[in-house]
Amino acid sequence: MRFLAFALALTLPLSALAQDRGPILTATVNEHILPSFAALSDASGALAQAAQSDCTATSPDLRAAYHVAFDSWISVSHLRFGPSEVGDRAFALAFWPDTKGFTPKALSGLIAAEDDAVKSPDAFAETSIAGRGFFALEQMLYDTRFADQGSDTYRCDLIRAIATDIDRNAHAMDDDWASFATALTQPGENSPYRSGDEAMQELYKALVTGLEFTGDTRLGRPMGTFDRPRPNRAEARRSERSLRHVELSLIALRDLAAHLSADHPEIAADLDGAFDKAITRAQALNDPALAGVAEPQRRFRIEALQQSINDIRAIASTELGPTLGISAGFNSLDGD
Amino acid sequence: MPNRRHFLAGLAASSLVPLRGWASVGAPDYLAAALFPDGSYRLAGLDTGGDILFALPLPARGHAAAAHPVNAQAVAFARRPGTFALVIDCATGTELTRLTAPEGRHFFGHGVFSPDGTRLFTTENDYEAGEGVIGIWNAADYRRLGEFPSGGIGPHDMRLMPDGQTLVIANGGIETHPDMGRTKLNLPTMQPRLSYLDLNGTVLEQVELPQALHKNSIRHLAVRQDGLVAFAMQWQGDKAQHPPLLGLHRRGEAPRLLSSPDAEQSTLQGYAGSIAFSGDGEAIAITCPRGNALHQFNVASGLLTGAFSLEDVCGLGPGPRGFVFTTGTGIVGELTSKVQISARPDCQWDNHLIPIRPAA
Repeated sequence: MRFLAFALALTLPLSALAQDRGPILTATVNEHILPSFAALSDASGALAQAAQSDCTATSPDLRAAYHVAFDSWISVSHLRFGPSEVGDRAFALAFWPDTKGFTPKALSGLIAAEDDAVKSPDAFAETSIAGRGFFALEQMLYDTRFADQGSDTYRCDLIRAIATDIDRNAHAMDDDWASFATALTQPGENSPYRSGDEAMQELYKALVTGLEFTGDTRLGRPMGTFDRPRPNRAEARRSERSLRHVELSLIALRDLAAHLSADHPEIAADLDGAFDKAITRAQALNDPALAGVAEPQRRFRIEALQQSINDIRAIASTELGPTLGISAGFNSLDGD
Repeated sequence: MPNRRHFLAGLAASSLVPLRGWASVGAPDYLAAALFPDGSYRLAGLDTGGDILFALPLPARGHAAAAHPVNAQAVAFARRPGTFALVIDCATGTELTRLTAPEGRHFFGHGVFSPDGTRLFTTENDYEAGEGVIGIWNAADYRRLGEFPSGGIGPHDMRLMPDGQTLVIANGGIETHPDMGRTKLNLPTMQPRLSYLDLNGTVLEQVELPQALHKNSIRHLAVRQDGLVAFAMQWQGDKAQHPPLLGLHRRGEAPRLLSSPDAEQSTLQGYAGSIAFSGDGEAIAITCPRGNALHQFNVASGLLTGAFSLEDVCGLGPGPRGFVFTTGTGIVGELTSKVQISARPDCQWDNHLIPIRPAA
């Protein structure tokens, strides 16, 4: 380190006047993040219980519990940092998009081998990430190709193992958030965030990437191109949840955006108006599996929904981003 | 380039376009894409002092470029997932022709000419299969000749090894599909590789990082005249970790990873944008636009020798006295023992600074 030379900051902009981010960070954690993870762990607990009570794929109680728990996951699925990223927990809950069909392969592999991993939660947690989580459970409950693969007993064990694994993961996230919350609300030496600005930027990134994922992937993947729509690529289409995921994620992101813009009423109003438009469009679609991507008339309305999400993204990046000290760097934002 | 005159003679006979050597365009030292204040994206020819010798319009945002080994021609590539690449006569400022990626493929933004200048190789995405391919183009008329697998997913940067017969490819490991913008589709299973292929596509060597680093996407490359390959990485894993972003590799050996002390490494946000050896080959540096930093290491010792704070720095190439760099704020500068700003034209320099001749 003898030759270590630290040049003066040659060209860094005058840093934005130090602002107290504390109240917004605290409110976002206490009102947006912690209750949502608590709801997820409650719902996943109920799902694991339901699978224990009745592991039949067509069981109405099990399916209802699956829907409630999946709803709760989608409502936190934009919070991809901290406890969600430890040990690939988020992917273990939701391995999607599955472009190479790893989930059915993993499930068929377990069933064909009658893999004993289903008997131990620790062992199951070591199996392929693609055969775990909500999308694996969806295929076991709704995909006819798994309705008679292997024995009834093994399928039952597998469904229970997946549900228990979801519950363990959800609880681990919820538990970790209890301590990680202070990392966001008290940035500094004992936190991965060195300042309130950095903590705000993490939340802003969650908003922006959440919008991007919902617009480009949840909608974009089934849309494909006009000439080649891909309705079979819609997220959770087997249980007809594709549009619901768009709606739920927009509702969660709207709440996050409201918190982040709390100090700037005009920006908050712009964002809220844009979210309102997008959510209204989503609710008016009446196309649960987004099958309409393949029909010109219905596709047009899905394109309009995607455009309204892009409109929110534009407001977030041009209005909200600059207030949070987000560098508008040409290269830093490029990601290439 | 020991056989320059030999190539020139060979090409003069075969090429379909008027031939002009690089000297005729005022001898630029580097190519770089930029966003200009009128909103146009251009490919510029630069000298070491930061003077812009030409600035030719591109249809959309560029990424990197490949300079023809002899003729004053450059191929400027679209930023992924773009499908255009422009062949530009750098003497006249005209577009000679345009490459369009075939159906089902898009460019990743990098490419390289064969040493004799007869073929162009491009990194591409076979996005329905989710596999990387290398496109092969005839560099006389820029017709597509074919393609071969890149040896992995998401091939990004690609260089020619000093033997003139081997390609080294940064297979970043990340699957993307143009229908989904730039969304990363396979982070839990991604497996980046440094792949060595001969010019016919035969895989000669595959280098992978330890499993704990499987989310460290190998993206950009620099090659020293003695065959030492340097690679820059972008970390896709847990942000609380600050793994190395720079590696060195020699064929047949294990890669050597270089990192700054944690106090500096932790400010880089897990992202290196460009990499280059110094003009004398003794130093290696990475630019980190998210951390607003340029980190320089001694190749022999592997130790950090300088950490410089530079807003939105990304373009980096070898310079006569060390390195030349560009920033998104318009700066063209030199790094010798210190940072010197050579020029600051009113434009935003994009990711890469491509030397027209190997400086070492």
